Amino acid sequence: MGSILLVAEIQKGAIREASRELVTFAQKLGGDVHSLVIGSGVESLAADFAKKGGGKVYVCDDPALAGYNVDGWAKAIRAAADASGADVILISNTPSGWDVAPRVAAGLEAAFVSDAFDAKEGPVFTRRVFNGKLDAEVVPAGGKVVATVQPGAVAAFEGSTEGSTEKLSVDLSTLRAKFVETKVAEAKGVDLTKAEIIVSGGRGVGAPEKFPEVVKPLADALGGAMGASRPVVDAGWLPHEYQVGSSGQVVTPKLYIACGISGAIQHLVGMKGSNFIIAINKDADAPIFEVAQLGVVGDLFEIVPKLTEAVKAAKG
Amino acid sequence: MKILVCLKQVPHQDARLDVNADGSWIKEDGIKFEINSYDTFALEEALRIKDADSGSEVVVASIGPDRVTQALRTALGMGADRAVHVKDAAVEGSDSLGIARVLAAVAKEVGPDLVLMGLMSDDSNASAVPPMLAELLGIPHATAVVKVDREGSGYRVERELEGGALEVVDLPLPCLLAVQTGLNQVRYASLKGIMAAKKKPIDVKTAEDLGLAGAVGAAAAKVRIQKIYQPPKGDGAEMISGSPDEVVAKLVGKIKELGLL
Ligand SMILES: Cc1cc2nc3c(=O)[nH]c(=O)nc-3n(C[C@H](O)[C@H](O)[C@H](O)COP(=O)(O)OP(=O)(O)OC[C@H]3O[C@@H](n4cnc5c(N)ncnc54)[C@H](O)[C@@H]3O)c2cc1C
Ligand SMILES: Nc1ncnc2c1ncn2[C@@H]1O[C@H](COP(=O)(O)O)[C@@H](O)[C@H]1O
Repeated sequence: MGSILLVAEIQKGAIREASRELVTFAQKLGGDVHSLVIGSGVESLAADFAKKGGGKVYVCDDPALAGYNVDGWAKAIRAAADASGADVILISNTPSGWDVAPRVAAGLEAAFVSDAFDAKEGPVFTRRVFNGKLDAEVVPAGGKVVATVQPGAVAAFEGSTEGSTEKLSVDLSTLRAKFVETKVAEAKGVDLTKAEIIVSGGRGVGAPEKFPEVVKPLADALGGAMGASRPVVDAGWLPHEYQVGSSGQVVTPKLYIACGISGAIQHLVGMKGSNFIIAINKDADAPIFEVAQLGVVGDLFEIVPKLTEAVKAAKG
Repeated sequence: MKILVCLKQVPHQDARLDVNADGSWIKEDGIKFEINSYDTFALEEALRIKDADSGSEVVVASIGPDRVTQALRTALGMGADRAVHVKDAAVEGSDSLGIARVLAAVAKEVGPDLVLMGLMSDDSNASAVPPMLAELLGIPHATAVVKVDREGSGYRVERELEGGALEVVDLPLPCLLAVQTGLNQVRYASLKGIMAAKKKPIDVKTAEDLGLAGAVGAAAAKVRIQKIYQPPKGDGAEMISGSPDEVVAKLVGKIKELGLL
């Protein structure tokens, strides 16, 4: 493999962990590493990344890039791709990464691989399809490759390396999309992060009234809180503050009971750090069973109400 | 306002997924299909814009085999004005860029002010076609859109970031928005709507009609699926079986063991 360009991201004033994971991911492919750091006033972060596996780091530093701007990022990545002659461009599958990467791929007429969690020389990329129910191996036909990489899929590179930085000048005079502001998450009425026990219901719960009838009673019996997967919130069955996952709350209770939740990656990142996970799902192949310690293949409507009664009885 | 909504028909979320004989995709025969969940929210948003401004036109486009007619009929029943169905064996096997090329050709014929799409398809989970289409059309875009408001001569949208944070972006027209689920509450097609839909046109096109013969399909794809398979089972969960009463007894035992009862 020739040369690889990593697009780093800054979060809370530092190079984010997902970007350091790209360094590890690049090592799987093998090749000469270059990176790109985009932002305003980011030169010292770029210099730092050069010493942490970023290789030759291009810096696109401009006040117009203080907030994420898809047009600006696409231009910067194109310029860095040209400057580095990269055959493979790796970008984290984050809200900025998934927004810009396909656009760059189309502009370069490159092969595009989305949300890869593994790779080997070839290159061959592995990714999830059908919301985690199946895996796929994908191979580029030749030519340039743009791939997004699933955050958390590999460990962040922790070594120290020799590297260098180089300024990249990019014409940013014609940005059409305009960044206005970032709004931080509002304080939640339900703070699931403090709950010791969470009983969550997913789309498999089937109807809004089943939450107070089936899921909540078990949470109450255990003295815990109720949570939910995203489709439950999207359908308006429960407010957003109950949502567990990448776009909801990240929880680490002592016990997490997932009822009728398939286990898509965006849900898993929100709960896989729980101390103990019980999953109840009627599909024996549901990916949730891979992160659970205890699994029951069955109808939640048969199990959960009985479990609620048994818990109440045990508590006396 | 002319709005183009791109819809993909995907296997029903509860469909049984069996890998086909050569391991390249799932077995599609005998399973139910539905409109990609994300795309239903895109369509609803388009219909809301039309509800507020009756001079608007909503055109739905979908690429796929015969079965896609059903998805387009549903969209017309919900209130879209007309449909374009790109149906051509020569398009099958396209990668995301191929699909984007076909949609770009459709968009050039339709001439939309706004293109609405889903953030991701529930089958291939690529999240690729919308930014690619925007690039091919030379228009700005935003993904993971959870709020759409008219602002001046364009749109002010909110993009969903991680953990509930939002990013506010202004886009001039024409532009393309790939929406996140939950953006709105999606309507059902009314009986009246379904009856009216029978008279609405579905324009069927081939790659050649769109000037794309040879430019799309498996041979032109830059990336292909080599193999699709059940994820390898790791350590996984200890599975407990038995009658519901037996299962419940074991669960209670475990919860006690954890010191939580
Ligand atoms: C950018 C982005 C952010 C996202 N953020 C989040 C997030 O924060 N949180 C989140 O959860 N998702 C999130 N998602 C959505 C995610 O991809 C999945 O679509 C979602 O997690 C699926 O929810 P689910 O498991 O409840 O539904 P499904 O995947 O439809 O699963 C339902 C499950 O219920 C089971 N079931 C059905 N009936 C029964 C029964 N009677 N008894 C037992 N089991 C039954 C089925 O076997 C199935 O496994 C996000 C997606 C994207 C693209
Ligand atoms: N075959 C298709 N026909 C019409 N629109 C499509 C098709 N494939 C993808 N799209 C659109 O692109 C979005 C993202 O899909 P994807 O890039 O495949 O994840 C979908 O939500 C649709 O709006």
